[in-house]
Amino acid sequence: MEAHLYLEARLQMIGSATDFTYKWCVNMGFEQAVAARMALAVDEILTDIVLYAFKDETGHIEIWFQYTFSEIEIIIQEMGEPFDPERYVYDADKAMKENNFEGASLESVRCMTDQFIFLNRGKDGKEFRLVKRFESADIRDRLPEKYPEQKDDNDVHDDDKNGNSAPGGDYLLTPVTSEDAEDIAKLIYRSYKYSYSKEDLYFPRRIEMAIRHEYKFGTIVRTAAGGPAGYFAVIKSTDSMIGEVGEAVVSPPYRKRGLMKIMMESLIDMSRQRGLKGLFGEALTAHTFSQKVNRKFDFRSTALVIAKSSRRTFKGMDFRSTENVSVVIDFLPLTRRWMKPAHLPEPYTDLLNTIYDQFKAYLYRRSADGSPEDDPGKTNLDLMIHHEKNSALIIAREVGNTFELSCKRLFRSIEELNLTAIYFDLPLGRIPISSSVEYLKKNGFILAGLMPFYHEESDYLRMQKIMTDIEFDAIHTFSDVAGLIKKTVKKEYDESRKEQA
Amino acid sequence: MKVEKNKHKLDVILQGDFNLNAVRQISSLLKDRTELTIDLINARFVTSKAVIYMHGLMYADSPVTIKIKNPPKIFFELLKALGLHKMWNLEEIVQP
Repeated sequence: MEAHLYLEARLQMIGSATDFTYKWCVNMGFEQAVAARMALAVDEILTDIVLYAFKDETGHIEIWFQYTFSEIEIIIQEMGEPFDPERYVYDADKAMKENNFEGASLESVRCMTDQFIFLNRGKDGKEFRLVKRFESADIRDRLPEKYPEQKDDNDVHDDDKNGNSAPGGDYLLTPVTSEDAEDIAKLIYRSYKYSYSKEDLYFPRRIEMAIRHEYKFGTIVRTAAGGPAGYFAVIKSTDSMIGEVGEAVVSPPYRKRGLMKIMMESLIDMSRQRGLKGLFGEALTAHTFSQKVNRKFDFRSTALVIAKSSRRTFKGMDFRSTENVSVVIDFLPLTRRWMKPAHLPEPYTDLLNTIYDQFKAYLYRRSADGSPEDDPGKTNLDLMIHHEKNSALIIAREVGNTFELSCKRLFRSIEELNLTAIYFDLPLGRIPISSSVEYLKKNGFILAGLMPFYHEESDYLRMQKIMTDIEFDAIHTFSDVAGLIKKTVKKEYDESRKEQA
Repeated sequence: MKVEKNKHKLDVILQGDFNLNAVRQISSLLKDRTELTIDLINARFVTSKAVIYMHGLMYADSPVTIKIKNPPKIFFELLKALGLHKMWNLEEIVQP
């Protein structure tokens, strides 16, 4: 449950904001002492903003509270007087000898958080980002290395997904609850040992909190004796009515019995009941197994996102690991009220039409197709930093005539973060964005593809800027459309590299 | 904030966290008294502004004797982060 506070920049407001911070952090799963650290960090930042950014002026401060399975991030934004925290370095000697406590509040913030980032976005304001990770028991520390039922054919993808046979044996399929958390973590460990791509699934507490807060829902298959045999979950998007079929496992002894098929069907039903407009999968491109499986369930490829996470080894797989892992976005619409955007950006019109053509049965076109909506004038860019993946996603909520200027400010503010990838989502349909695409390409961005319903139930074009070398030979695609997307991405990547050289 | 005071001494029990707001309230009550006791039983944290305030009082030309009751654990973490834990005589400042 994300939250947003809009405060008047006055000292009297700080207590209310820190009270909320503390309560929210506790509710999201932090121990009280950890929540107090976050509340203290927020108090320090807010106090400095009131004292130094606004002084005697009136103004407002916005605070966003964001939750992921592994961490909490609090983002504080304000538009007060420019300020550079790097100029205020705390020196304990100066404090003791000269009574000079300059930088003490930021030292306190650094001490109380796991990560503190300051972004100066010029006229678009300043951002203070406070990150604290969940500390919880890792199932890998509590279980023996080898389980009796573990086979050596552990695989990053379950090989029974493509089976159409009905499950043999007596199994019970139920929706997961927070009480299943430990069984799920054990199941992951038994099946994949250390090779599962989603780190959070090794932490029962993180799973428990995510299910309790309804960030994910799913299904668990148990044997007649009650033991867990399989688990499959949908992770709900936080800003759109879609979900990712992102966590799937069948314990090795129960594979090839059709369990994955019944779980997937159950998930699709559950997703429809919850009103989701679509499901997507991020299929690894180190192999094509997941893409093939997604295809069987009517998912279609829409994008190729490069370097989604850092180097990974795949236990028991017959291919070499790559420096960066890429994914094909496969999408399954769950609604027939999907409106195809009226305006597709110039360089990608044909490719986007080809992508959309895969979903003809679900699409309709706006009746009064033609005139674009008025240019909103201003640009609104949201920044999400994925600290663990060392990447960032910029979402253009509004594209106006200040687009280039806002981009410049934002790019400058994140320059020092040394990110390996920046993704940029541009809204499709409301206004023409060809010039924005052109600007991003000039700044080293290349195509990723179509992100259907990705933000606020609208389609977005994703561009990506990759700061590491990519081995395209290690990226494998299954469908013709995925192949077309890869061809375009590679062409633009090569061109971009040539220009840089 | 619950307050007890006499000519030389000010005792306060904070109802919330020890931050700049609390500092300003205490400061307005303290005036030229020479002893200050702060009970932090209801405080989840103490901010750097509060630490600096207390430091200023204790090491002023006319120092104020400060006693702290029931400090949260986070207070000691902050003092350490600011490098003041060795300078402050915590055995005398922190009351059992």
